[in-house]
Amino acid sequence: MPSALLSSCRTNTLFEDTSFKGKVLIIGAGAAGLYAGYILKSKGIDFQILEAAPNYGGRLGKLTGLANFPIDIGAQWMHGKNSIVGDLVKKSDTQITIDDSNEKYWFNNELASSLPRDINKIFEEEENIPDVSFEEFAIQKGFGNEYKNIVEAIAGDSGADASNISAYWKIMEEVNWSAGDEDFKFEETFFDFIEKEIAIHVQDHIQLNTVIKQIDYTGPTINVTDANDNAYTADKVIITVPITILKSGDIEFVPALPTEKTTAFSKIGMDAGMKVFLKFSTKFFDENIIGGSICAAYADDSIGKVQDDNVLLAFIMGQQAEYLTSLGSDSAITDALLQELDTMYNGQASASFVASHVQNWTTNPFVRGAYSYSTVGMGDARKIASETVAKKLYFAGEAMNTNGHHQTVHGAIETGYREVINLITDVRK
Amino acid sequence: MRALFLLLFLFPFIDTQAQEIEADLSYKYMFASNWDKAIQTYNFSRPFLTEKQPLLMHGINGSISYIFKSENKFKQGINASYSHFSSYAENVNFVNQYNLHFLNVGYMLRHESTGSLKGLCTDFILSALSSALFRNVNDEPFIYDDTSSKAFGIGGDLSVRTSYSFNIKNKIRLSPFFQVGYTPYLFSPNTEAVINQTRGLVAPNFTDVFSTQVGLKVRLRD
Repeated sequence: MPSALLSSCRTNTLFEDTSFKGKVLIIGAGAAGLYAGYILKSKGIDFQILEAAPNYGGRLGKLTGLANFPIDIGAQWMHGKNSIVGDLVKKSDTQITIDDSNEKYWFNNELASSLPRDINKIFEEEENIPDVSFEEFAIQKGFGNEYKNIVEAIAGDSGADASNISAYWKIMEEVNWSAGDEDFKFEETFFDFIEKEIAIHVQDHIQLNTVIKQIDYTGPTINVTDANDNAYTADKVIITVPITILKSGDIEFVPALPTEKTTAFSKIGMDAGMKVFLKFSTKFFDENIIGGSICAAYADDSIGKVQDDNVLLAFIMGQQAEYLTSLGSDSAITDALLQELDTMYNGQASASFVASHVQNWTTNPFVRGAYSYSTVGMGDARKIASETVAKKLYFAGEAMNTNGHHQTVHGAIETGYREVINLITDVRK
Repeated sequence: MRALFLLLFLFPFIDTQAQEIEADLSYKYMFASNWDKAIQTYNFSRPFLTEKQPLLMHGINGSISYIFKSENKFKQGINASYSHFSSYAENVNFVNQYNLHFLNVGYMLRHESTGSLKGLCTDFILSALSSALFRNVNDEPFIYDDTSSKAFGIGGDLSVRTSYSFNIKNKIRLSPFFQVGYTPYLFSPNTEAVINQTRGLVAPNFTDVFSTQVGLKVRLRD
């Protein structure tokens, strides 16, 4: 009995009684927006999600038909299982497989099982890291031009060009990483998982094909206008669009956002990115091929899937993605990749090529890149970028993650619930 | 825990120079705002878990004390204690449990009242405290990257304990007691990573821990 009395003074969740009767608009139906909606729904708060694209999921997506297994055209790996996504995977009994595939390196014009020097180690150091790019840092550590494409692959893993991403800030930001280093793949797709476990709860609240042009937060009620001049009103707005959209000024804020904030946006990097899926009649390729000059990282896409069609993923970031985009057509992109693979595997790629799918996130008007990364001189840009404006505008999405989980789906989800916490806290003050 | 029970069992057989040896068992109520916040955030952020994770607030404590001989009404001693707190929530496919263990070792100053208040005893205990937090999922230690999910912390505890003694036998007394304590506490960043699976999102790595205890101690006099 005393225990029950003592317990009654402390609730086991935040905001057990939420009295907010206002309306929340969420801009963007990616992982952060969907999860923010899911949380708002669980607290009984009125909300609507406005999505520019004709489908929800943001940088998550699914392709069927190319192979006998569903393909992730966007986010693909669950990075670590000590995360909210890991919990949801367990709770939902979703089938995942650890991706511990082996790597081969295209180095000095031949495939090798290992490199003469372990370059990965220099990016795992935590002391005396200069605020220079990966490219510059590798040179400073004595890795010459022969390692250029290997460095591109390491930078590409962070969605960046090696000449843009900061060695120092990348490491500083990842000090908080707590999810684990193992990567997992979904037996279905990451998109299926998010759709079944999160989107399903908020589907009725999503309005697709709604491109937001203006957010006027001058008065007590926020007025939001889309490209077709439809007006929406809300008491609070959670903005979850990619950092590229915020940087481009596609959304006009009235009054303009503080200069400090827009400067912070500009310091968060997001480079070109694409995924090309190449289907072959035979499996001539290795599980991972690192170091190509056209594509720095290829990966066997059938790993972790029940079926095993021979599909090779070309994971292309930064300048390589820009170059391939400049070729102008999907067939030209495919040809360039086949040519590189032919060089590596003595013509076997062209000989067994069946079909391809090019998913160019750079040319997607509502994404325009891969995912955020830390630039040279970045400082606390993510923290400033994610700060609430006038207790009305809240910023979420993977780029706004300040606890080391940016670039990930679970990092985006964390910002989704973080901003709902900030929003309710502001309401209660 | 096993060692503590062994010590309690051996008490009657210890031939000691101490004036008193004591052992006690108590219910312990704890309030640590930042740990509350971490679990509250965990619950808030996971609507898919219908059974919410209880806060780490109810625990058990066992301690032993060794009081040195003294003619003074203030006596000195040493004290060691162990506490265990648990938080358990059972959901379909997902049974989650946090186990928090504390170990205190410290110095004790005792004041025994005389006259009409004879039998009333007040202890001031200053101790160093360490803790270990573990997480189990589906009744197994939560493992990632081949490592179990765990976190540690340290602090300094100041407690005041008041008891009243009843003679049971010649050298044995029973004393119900009430204790309050305060601990400024520093915990590793892993604590938030164990509870909410984030770092730096919920709260700084510091918390004030307040506790109260109600229990019974056995006092053996030389």
